[in-house]
Amino acid sequence: MLGFLTARRAGLDDPLRLRRAESTRRVLNLKLNPDRDVDRIHGNGINSIDIETIEGRYMLSGGADGVIVIYDLENYSGKPQYTCKAVCTVGRSNRHVHKFSVETVLWYPYDTGMFVSSSFDKTMKVWDTETLKPAEVFEFESNIYNHHLSPIARKHSLIAVGTKNPKIQLCDLKSGSKIHVLQGHKAEVLSVRWSPRYEHILATASADSKVKVWDVRRASGSLFSLDQDNGDKSKSSSEAVNTAHNGRVNGLSFTSDGLFLLTTGTDDRMRLWNSATGENTLVNYGKVCNESRKGLQFTVSQGCSPEFVFVPCGSSVAVYVLHTGELVTMLRGHYNNVDCCKFHPDHQELYSGGKDGNILAWVPVLRASDMEEESDQKNKVHTSLPRLDKRKTKRG
Amino acid sequence: MNRKRALVSDTFKVKKRKTGSEKFGVVDDHGDGQGDIKSTIMDLMTLFPRKLFNDAVPQIVLKHQLYSIHDKTMVDKEVNKLRESGSLLMFQLGFDAEAFGLVFASDYKAKVLAGEEGKATRATVEKFLEKVVSKCTDLSFSKDKMLREFLFTDSEITQLVKSGVLTVRDAGSWWLSIPNTGKFIKYFIQGRKAVLGMVKKSKYGEVLKDDLEQRRTTSHVKFHIKYHINDIVGAELVESVPTTSGTLLRYVDS
Repeated sequence: MLGFLTARRAGLDDPLRLRRAESTRRVLNLKLNPDRDVDRIHGNGINSIDIETIEGRYMLSGGADGVIVIYDLENYSGKPQYTCKAVCTVGRSNRHVHKFSVETVLWYPYDTGMFVSSSFDKTMKVWDTETLKPAEVFEFESNIYNHHLSPIARKHSLIAVGTKNPKIQLCDLKSGSKIHVLQGHKAEVLSVRWSPRYEHILATASADSKVKVWDVRRASGSLFSLDQDNGDKSKSSSEAVNTAHNGRVNGLSFTSDGLFLLTTGTDDRMRLWNSATGENTLVNYGKVCNESRKGLQFTVSQGCSPEFVFVPCGSSVAVYVLHTGELVTMLRGHYNNVDCCKFHPDHQELYSGGKDGNILAWVPVLRASDMEEESDQKNKVHTSLPRLDKRKTKRG
Repeated sequence: MNRKRALVSDTFKVKKRKTGSEKFGVVDDHGDGQGDIKSTIMDLMTLFPRKLFNDAVPQIVLKHQLYSIHDKTMVDKEVNKLRESGSLLMFQLGFDAEAFGLVFASDYKAKVLAGEEGKATRATVEKFLEKVVSKCTDLSFSKDKMLREFLFTDSEITQLVKSGVLTVRDAGSWWLSIPNTGKFIKYFIQGRKAVLGMVKKSKYGEVLKDDLEQRRTTSHVKFHIKYHINDIVGAELVESVPTTSGTLLRYVDS
């Protein structure tokens, strides 16, 4: 670590190198920390978590009881022991609360004044965070599984909505109307994601085993559909041609640079695709247990080298290296199935929520000062806050 | 004191004291070239009992058996390279959509031709081996492909199916297959079930790998037990946990 710092100071290394190395070290050290807790408000399972990208301070969670909670993740108390308190809640007593379970919650990408939630009560509500009243309600004819707003869009403000209906709706935030429909899937759409690289590219995953990539400006149909055999017709049975998975595709995630797309399916496989060509990179992650009938929210790390994928797998979260498919570790701590997880890129923390109603914070373990025998005298003088031990000159 | 060993990324490995990448069953020779995968395949092939089938069947190794020894993505890449170069052939074995069998091309040709000695279908089979197997790396063939590209007639296709080189997949398409493998697949499935049962019935559903290798096998298990162990570990039917007494195989309930 000191070697990296000296090299950066001397200009031998790019500043990015130190940052990447330290981020990776922190991600590899993720553990449940007894000092960090998240307030338990939800009585039932938690379906979706989102952390806002502007400050990285507020977290939204949507639960199976229709309740939406906003938490403050920052620790200004000065003590290491901290519980992330719920700042405000859209509880059952609120007049506008969703009637059934909230499936997806998402912050507005540009500020925390607004957030969007969609639910099994067939409505999608755009909420004003100050007053906790919906500024806009979009009604649909069937259960909504997933929605997504483009994180980089400047020219449009569309929300893509995946419902039980095979048609994907695009709703406009500015006008408040459903302006566009994307046709092509044959079964319910379980997950939709905008690309973080191009504001018009959208990927959708459906229960008909297909994943389609669309350009919303094009009226005629999808750009391409992901094929797990890369066109090699010999491998699959002749009915299952051109499918991304051998079962329902229930999870989608772009990497933070938008160059790759990850999909998970109920055939217990996870696949990595090149998002520009739709080619299966054939990285083999092994068996990624997946029994979810609805969507699964998984996440990719940012700013590390190599990048990691955090996938909820039963009641634990599996961490894989993105490009080689190696299983790094399983984060165990939940009492029941884990449904969603979200990576906090600034602090390299992982928040995961599940059916047990708990949100667990996985925090990087700080370097332990294990040269305690010699430094006992000096330690007594310093405060009790954990700190990097400067005497670790041996480390790289 | 933190008793758990921390995972350390490559960039910080100066003394190589804590190499976290060894934790989950990944073997430490990461820099494997093509030679090592090939030699592993040959080692695994020695486990295959030839006498049981009276030498009629070439030695078969399953692709997922390699996953238990090397890194999965690398195995896939190397196997594809070997297939492209024509030295290795891959077959869909039929009992599991993901179970692919690997046979060396030379072995396969020798055994098939030996099996065809004195039969009327010999000429067609030879023609098939030359034209199709040497050039095309597909696992299955459709009717127009056979008729148009390779110029086989319908009756010739029937002869190929009869000789066992092609197996019906659905109307108008065939899998490439190895003749006389019916018995192999039957014994394989039986043996897999038996070995898996041995792990399941052990106390706590787990058994040390070395211990399992020493056990006496029932008459259901016709192959070498190591062949089956590699199979169940690679297919992730058991979880392989590294412990201080060696590798532990734990039954996965799914």
